[in-house]
Amino acid sequence: MTSPRSAPRTFSRLTTALFAGLSLIFLSGCKLTEIFNLSGPQSTMVSAGPVAKAQWDLFMVTVWVTTFIFIVVGAVLAYAQFKFRAKTEADEHATPPPQGHGNPFVEIGLIAGSVLLLVIIAIPTLRGIWYTHDVPEDEKANAMEVTATGYQWWFKFEYPSEMVPLPTGGEAPLVTGNELVVPAGVPVRVQLRTVDVIHSFWIPKLAGKVDMMPNRGNFLWFKADKPGYFYGQCAEYCGESHAIMRFRVIALSAPEYARWLENQKQAARTVTAESLAAAAATPTAKFASLKFEAGSALAASPGFDANPLAAWQDMQKPEPGENAQLIATGRKLFADKTCISCHAVRGHEGIGITGPDLTRVGARTTIAAGVLENTPERMHAWIKDPNHYKPGNKMFNGGYVDVDTGTAKFQLTDPEIDALVAYLHSLK
Amino acid sequence: MAEALVKHAFTGAGHPPAKATFDLMARPTAKTGLLSWLTTVDHKKIGMLYGGFAILFFLIGGLEALMIRTQLMVPNNRFISAQLYNELFTMHGTTMIFLAVMPLNAAFFNLLIPLQIGARDVAFPRLNAFSLWTWVVGAILLNVGWLSHFFPSWNFGGAPDIGWFGYAPLTSKAFSPDISTDLWVLGLQVLGLSSIVASLNFIVTIINLRAPGLTMMRLPVFTWMALVTSFLLILALPAIAIALVEVMMDRNFGTNFFEVSGGGQPILWQHLFWVFGHPEVYILILPPMGYVSEILPTFARKPLFGYPIVVFSGVAIGFIGFGVWSHHMFTTGMGTVATAAFSIATMAIAVPTGVKIFNWIGTLWGGQITTRVPMMFALGFIWMFMLGGFSGVMHAAAPADAQQQDSYFVIAHFHYVLIGGATFALLAAIHFWFPKFFGRMVPEVWGKVSFWLIFVGFNCTFFPMHFLGLNGMPRRTWTYDSNMGWNEGNMFATWGAYLLGVGIFTYFAVLVWSLFKGKVCGNDPWDARTLEWSIPSPPPEHNFAAIPTVHARDAWWYEKTHKDEIAAEKAEHIKAEEAHGGIHMPDQSWYPLFSAFGLLVGAYNFAQLHHPVVMFGNQVLASHLPLAITGGVIMASALYLWALEGPAGYHLHIAADGKVTESRGGH
Repeated sequence: MTSPRSAPRTFSRLTTALFAGLSLIFLSGCKLTEIFNLSGPQSTMVSAGPVAKAQWDLFMVTVWVTTFIFIVVGAVLAYAQFKFRAKTEADEHATPPPQGHGNPFVEIGLIAGSVLLLVIIAIPTLRGIWYTHDVPEDEKANAMEVTATGYQWWFKFEYPSEMVPLPTGGEAPLVTGNELVVPAGVPVRVQLRTVDVIHSFWIPKLAGKVDMMPNRGNFLWFKADKPGYFYGQCAEYCGESHAIMRFRVIALSAPEYARWLENQKQAARTVTAESLAAAAATPTAKFASLKFEAGSALAASPGFDANPLAAWQDMQKPEPGENAQLIATGRKLFADKTCISCHAVRGHEGIGITGPDLTRVGARTTIAAGVLENTPERMHAWIKDPNHYKPGNKMFNGGYVDVDTGTAKFQLTDPEIDALVAYLHSLK
Repeated sequence: MAEALVKHAFTGAGHPPAKATFDLMARPTAKTGLLSWLTTVDHKKIGMLYGGFAILFFLIGGLEALMIRTQLMVPNNRFISAQLYNELFTMHGTTMIFLAVMPLNAAFFNLLIPLQIGARDVAFPRLNAFSLWTWVVGAILLNVGWLSHFFPSWNFGGAPDIGWFGYAPLTSKAFSPDISTDLWVLGLQVLGLSSIVASLNFIVTIINLRAPGLTMMRLPVFTWMALVTSFLLILALPAIAIALVEVMMDRNFGTNFFEVSGGGQPILWQHLFWVFGHPEVYILILPPMGYVSEILPTFARKPLFGYPIVVFSGVAIGFIGFGVWSHHMFTTGMGTVATAAFSIATMAIAVPTGVKIFNWIGTLWGGQITTRVPMMFALGFIWMFMLGGFSGVMHAAAPADAQQQDSYFVIAHFHYVLIGGATFALLAAIHFWFPKFFGRMVPEVWGKVSFWLIFVGFNCTFFPMHFLGLNGMPRRTWTYDSNMGWNEGNMFATWGAYLLGVGIFTYFAVLVWSLFKGKVCGNDPWDARTLEWSIPSPPPEHNFAAIPTVHARDAWWYEKTHKDEIAAEKAEHIKAEEAHGGIHMPDQSWYPLFSAFGLLVGAYNFAQLHHPVVMFGNQVLASHLPLAITGGVIMASALYLWALEGPAGYHLHIAADGKVTESRGGH
């Protein structure tokens, strides 16, 4: 063994070199302060509703109590480490210190102190459990109800109180996919369901997660204080593409929500040469023309991130340069290539229910469950190779390709995909 | 006849001396070479095998972690596929828990318990070997799926990809059709068997084989924690054993425990899993608390502060540990009352944990602290475990946990507990007891370099994850988008992980060097306090020439100050033992290995049950059933022959000058 005296010296030289090297690596690699960034679109700190706020406030109680304990206990530990270290080699071989076995009064005092500190956390915890569990009694009358259903790997949203007439007669609740639109300032009670495995419904800025459990009627509630655009994500491992099972919540002012609802209840938009001529003067969307960059295939564009709610509002408008003939071709392909057997387009041919409802897919900001920004270029890329963007998805596995034999069920050429995109983007 | 057989089997009386010719009943006697390791019943050799395999899997699990971190280094990365990523995080968790930390603890149980209680071996040496080989079988079953990445025609469907927690119904045939899930189920089941057998063995050993005078309240704290851990294992493992049987039946025999379409309840799996899974956390951390409770007094040169309270808080953690499982399920919609109850119980368990930290600080207070490498890891343990404990208290506040559950905040929390806690303590323990079992020291300087690399690398990896989690990054995600504010934290964590990897590599490279070139040391290089330091390094096969009489806690420390008294007692013990024929040693046996091999054949083929047997491209059998039965027959035959081979054994005689001679036959 190296002499105990020379070890620390050699060692201090080594650590100096080590820390110098490390700082270089880290400082050149990234901006250090960004590591402590808590302002992302899924930040639990930047709460935008009372549930998330209650959760963050309770978290801060735990932070203050544990920080207090850390300072006290850490100071004593650091002091003991420093004060009682053997300073010289002679110290190490000196007569051993008194062989004390402990002090019951110190022990009991510390136990009592710990219990007291935990009570400080326990009281707001209990209050929070009851508050975050369900819509408070005095707000129940005002609350609205939606049903969120998890699928591998996307979310379906239903509005049980908003019935829409079906083309075949009768009526059914309004259905959308992956983008939940709610009024701001209204408590929303979300019934959580799943059709396959366990998923978990999480919109960090609005509310902590609750799982979607098979054979269990779970629910959660949230309220958006102001209109806004919120990011959500599945938070329970649910198979191959769990990482890219995302969704959005769009909170609108009361009048805007009413307008949106009114439009949703209509049958799917049908574009003809006459309808285009009649509506020539209406404003058109601008984000749909953003260029698809191959290098950043999945990232949202900066223009989108700057104001996502504005981007969403813009997406509600028809797009520039709509081509009635191309759209009609796309609509026919949508039926011919069997898309209709999984996707519904209410009022058109689509009647399937195993995939997301596409009645207004052109008005959504994202496709593929919050993964790709809904530009024509990205939708083209998605339709061309869905398995690249969402491995294991059922549109490709079972839709495009027979899972048992591995053979393709049909082919799509680029011009055909362009027509499909034109059709889908016309669905506003 | 029957009476003779019973007598033969249970007392060894009338056992014929070993014959030179081949005999199914003859017990192997090789003391060196591969044979001696395969047939060993010596707790020290078994401990080293556990340790060696565990370190191998620790490094494999580490490589899996580095691949995970590399994938997450930059957003929208395509370094590995989603499928492979899911296999990696499943196997990283499974490996680190069941194939690294648990067997490293088992290695120390084996190496230390008999030495700390003044015994010559564990109570059931062959059963001990059976635990080891059964554990190896479980490890093979869990990892064999990786081979299908290298040999695509081997139809395993890859390694398990259902998460280490295997939540139903993702484990059902509909969502996980390939056999990787069957292998995972059987692998865990076999590991559970190994742990239960080993735990019973350790409990009997600790209760029955203590040296004279070694009362329970004089037991070294590590042995106490091993005892509590063993009870946790035998009480917790049946829950997951039942759950695994239910999954297996759902997958193979059409039952509906968790099958949603048949009215099954996936929530049932979570309760059964966590009734095991939370005590499992304490199974992982109590032995490390034991190591630290041995190392701190040694390097502070004073006894553990508040020994009875440390012991009782360990037992209290064991008890309360069975009443907090649903804090893993705060987001499953348990309702307000259940959530509140588990929330409060979880806060309560922080008290005995905090008590231990207070007592460790009390141990340092007034001591003469020398910061040798094991002490640095032990002090690092206290600091890091404290931080992990704090984030644990944060999780106990259920509404706050609704934001943290399944986010990177949880990953930060439990890596502070399991690396900063358990692993730091294990690295301290390896460094501390290395001289005892290999007779050589590990160089201080390189030990300290590896400590600082590990300490800095660990904190750079996991501290940013608290913020990633609070900033909404969910765990078990293969990739993330670039606009989420997670880029820098992930980049930093990945560099930290590489640094941690370099530190771990340095640590073990130095150990390997020390095996051959380390400075040779004596009995007691650290001026330590417990009985294992009273015997030569490495210990002889019989451990103690004379079983000591214990007069106090820290028996060896007492012996050092009462040399004459103890020497006189020892001389008397040697004489008394010689009058009974000398030190009785057990013979080696093939049957623990053979029966475990039968289990491997049976379990592997049972996983493949519904697939045809294909050899060289031709279908040989329509199903694996005959092969599975063959495995069962091998195991049953080996157990039967095990029962018949009798204890045999031989005697060692210690001469006055310390020379050891061996004699066989007679009793």
